[in-house]
Amino acid sequence: MRQAVRNYLVFLWRSGRLAFVGDWRYYAWMGVLTVFCLLGLNAYAKQFANGLIVTGMSDEVSWGVYIANFTFLVGVAAAAVMMVIPVYIYNNEELHDLVIFGELLAVAAILMCLAFVTVDLGRPDRFWHLIPGIGQFNFPASMLSWDVIVLNGYLLLNVHICGYLLYCRYRGRAPAKWFYIPFVFVAIVWAVSIHTVTAFLYVGLGGRPFWNSAIVGPRFLASAFTAGPALIILAMQVVRRVTATAPAGDAAPLGREAGAGQRPKSRAAALGDLDLLARHLAELSSVSEEVRQSVLAGAVVLEAKAGDIFLRQGETEKLIFFVLKGRVVVKREEGGRLRITRSLGPGEQFGEISALAGTPRTGTAIAEEPALVLSLSADSLRKLMSVPRMNKIIRSRMSERLLIADRALMTLRSIVQVSMLINVFLLANEVFKEFYSGNLHVASSKYLFLGLHGHHALVPWIWTAIVFNLAAMVLLVLPVSRSLKWLNLTCVLCIVGIWIEKGMGLVIPGFIPTPLGEMVEYRPSLNETLVCFGIWAFGLLCYTVFLRMSVPILQGRLAKANEGQAGFGVSGAGPQPAAQL
Amino acid sequence: MPTPTFNSHENEGQSADGLSRRSFLRSAVAASGLAALAASLAPLRHLNDFPTVDQFLQKYYKELTPEEMAKVLKRIEDEVEREYGLRPHVRDLKPMNGVEFVYALNLTRCIGCRKCVHACVAENNQSRTPEIQYIRVVRLPHGSLDLEKAEHNYNPEMVPEEGYFYMPVQCQQCKNPPCVKVCPVHATWQEADGITVIDYNWCIGCRYCAAACPYWARHFNFTKPSIPKERLNPDMAYLGNRPRYQGVMEKCHFCVQRTRVGRYPACVEVCPVGARKFGNVLDPESEVSYILRTKRVFVQLKEELGTSPRFYYYFDV
Repeated sequence: MRQAVRNYLVFLWRSGRLAFVGDWRYYAWMGVLTVFCLLGLNAYAKQFANGLIVTGMSDEVSWGVYIANFTFLVGVAAAAVMMVIPVYIYNNEELHDLVIFGELLAVAAILMCLAFVTVDLGRPDRFWHLIPGIGQFNFPASMLSWDVIVLNGYLLLNVHICGYLLYCRYRGRAPAKWFYIPFVFVAIVWAVSIHTVTAFLYVGLGGRPFWNSAIVGPRFLASAFTAGPALIILAMQVVRRVTATAPAGDAAPLGREAGAGQRPKSRAAALGDLDLLARHLAELSSVSEEVRQSVLAGAVVLEAKAGDIFLRQGETEKLIFFVLKGRVVVKREEGGRLRITRSLGPGEQFGEISALAGTPRTGTAIAEEPALVLSLSADSLRKLMSVPRMNKIIRSRMSERLLIADRALMTLRSIVQVSMLINVFLLANEVFKEFYSGNLHVASSKYLFLGLHGHHALVPWIWTAIVFNLAAMVLLVLPVSRSLKWLNLTCVLCIVGIWIEKGMGLVIPGFIPTPLGEMVEYRPSLNETLVCFGIWAFGLLCYTVFLRMSVPILQGRLAKANEGQAGFGVSGAGPQPAAQL
Repeated sequence: MPTPTFNSHENEGQSADGLSRRSFLRSAVAASGLAALAASLAPLRHLNDFPTVDQFLQKYYKELTPEEMAKVLKRIEDEVEREYGLRPHVRDLKPMNGVEFVYALNLTRCIGCRKCVHACVAENNQSRTPEIQYIRVVRLPHGSLDLEKAEHNYNPEMVPEEGYFYMPVQCQQCKNPPCVKVCPVHATWQEADGITVIDYNWCIGCRYCAAACPYWARHFNFTKPSIPKERLNPDMAYLGNRPRYQGVMEKCHFCVQRTRVGRYPACVEVCPVGARKFGNVLDPESEVSYILRTKRVFVQLKEELGTSPRFYYYFDV
């Protein structure tokens, strides 16, 4: 128990330290974010001292850009975890590591949501009145009390799932299914609930006909599944870029330097080699002598010096490798850049996915230091995997590979595609109902889309949103968005379009005109805007730190195994200078 | 080829000189970071309305024992005296048995003079800057109750005007109040005599009730309210007209400090044309009971929302 706590604290300490290590680009990025955080904090301090009068809000428009951002970000948080569905329900391996990045994004988004509601409170010092058991919690009558529960619950769920999976990866052991799979399924349902509850905040208000429409909930979900994955597509490309080692062009494709890039020397494998492997892979001990003997037939041990290559990206040969000694790094060339996918130590395997599936190698495996590697045929691997314990460990490792493949981004693209079509369709439904029936309650919609009684502050915004959404929809339907350049543009259109549509375009017009028919417009003040920038910067800061900590763990570069070898180097996860290659 | 990262120590190959430069840089960054943090928090030196420890820890209204309530009332009297130089009398008035207050307003009589608005502000210690008013009088064209056509900025010097009528709107004291339903912390609730009240020491200022109210009756203190010292009404109730805090909600409470001791609300008293009627609907002899019994038509504003107001508009002819 004591040991477990110690291990966990060492894990937190080591990964936490990574947040302070990076190259100049990392420091510059974190520095800029910190400056924005401080500007936001300063603006909030002014608001805390003088009250919400420093915002653009009024009795007439009593919620503004804080709640608009809150609404948008709840959607991002909800959508981020929905990546989980293809992975766990449809066994889509490609998205596997995206799930952790997605859930980390959900955590960052929820932190921002909580910050946005807190800055919107008139009396943040009375926050404790909201704590069930200590304060007075109006549950279940108030939808806001539901929101408190679902948002905090969602935060805990995601922190648990990500934290546990990352910790297991760090320890180099397979996660216990019962300890995270049930939570994953709860989180899926929970993700829908956070956004539905947020929609109900508005839908439940009979006195605001603009919001009091049953379609708002479905619209929220559709727009969330558009903007959330779009944000992940962009974030993943950034991750891919900063974990890339160098542009592939300069990389002298994988060790063409003198003396490197050779195929390693080989010799036939003996039983002693399997014993060596069993020392690092305890599961092998459950394999019977008989099976071991049959596996040895045709098995080869490769004696590699640093720089030797075991397999190359694009090749197809059905061999699978186990590291016996030393370290092997797997690199992948993608989008013109080369990046380290993972680094493997004794007892770990590589090449199994393509060997079993008979597909081309998705990366190139190179000896990082002098290494001893056991090579087996795919059939031998199948024999090993007929032993349940071996099957379990190999399968769990296979499904843990860090892959942000283009194909994974394309899977996300199809989610965005379908969601955007539904989103535009639902918006059209709402617009039809409002304008065709033309009853008294159309005033807010008129104000939003056309302007009312000479007031039209939101008209340019909503039409920008509609143009962006339609453009994104067309791009998504066309094959052109399969190219990353166009896909990125499309994602930006989606995110901006939806931020306007469901943030400013939904929250503000609900208040205009007032229930007594008065027209008072809203424009966020500078101070309010700075607070918003501050919170966004804070969220990005959190997400950057989360990625900074998790990428090396997923790559196998930060693990319990290398605990003693102090100082996880600066070059570990961050961009490495090309000269190092 | 990449240097094997795991075997290289972080500071490997650095001279002692390099190390000290690095640690100097580190402390410089940390110091300027702390300075920047302090600078960004500087506005907190001018806190408007920072809660005292007693205020911060005060229990929920319904959980206060009579002794605790007495202490709270005394503390509030002290606070007001310190701020305004005048010792108020703050009471915790409970609803009377067998009483349910309703309001009736005669739209035929109302001339839109807005005297009720100003009497209310004076009675209830509402903030003058920024201005908070519980009653909004709108001008409507003859023949329509469509609030989309309401004129909020008519000139009260010119009233009454040909072709228009006037409609004052304030808290409708709903039997089914949406504001109470949505409040996440029970800071607002309906009392036995039908009045929906707010505990100004419990409200967290989320303004959800303001979004929920179909009558625009709830008003928020966007900053610390300011009341001229000489205008302060010292006759106060805890759930009524005692001075409010920055960042909390307030609204019409049928002048609990008056009506719970048998007086009329200020707006009823001041109305020069007798358009405003107020009383106990459970008493069949009361004026409001008579009006509700005998008038053929009366209007509950936005009846279709199911809020069931205790505020009735009626007509003479």
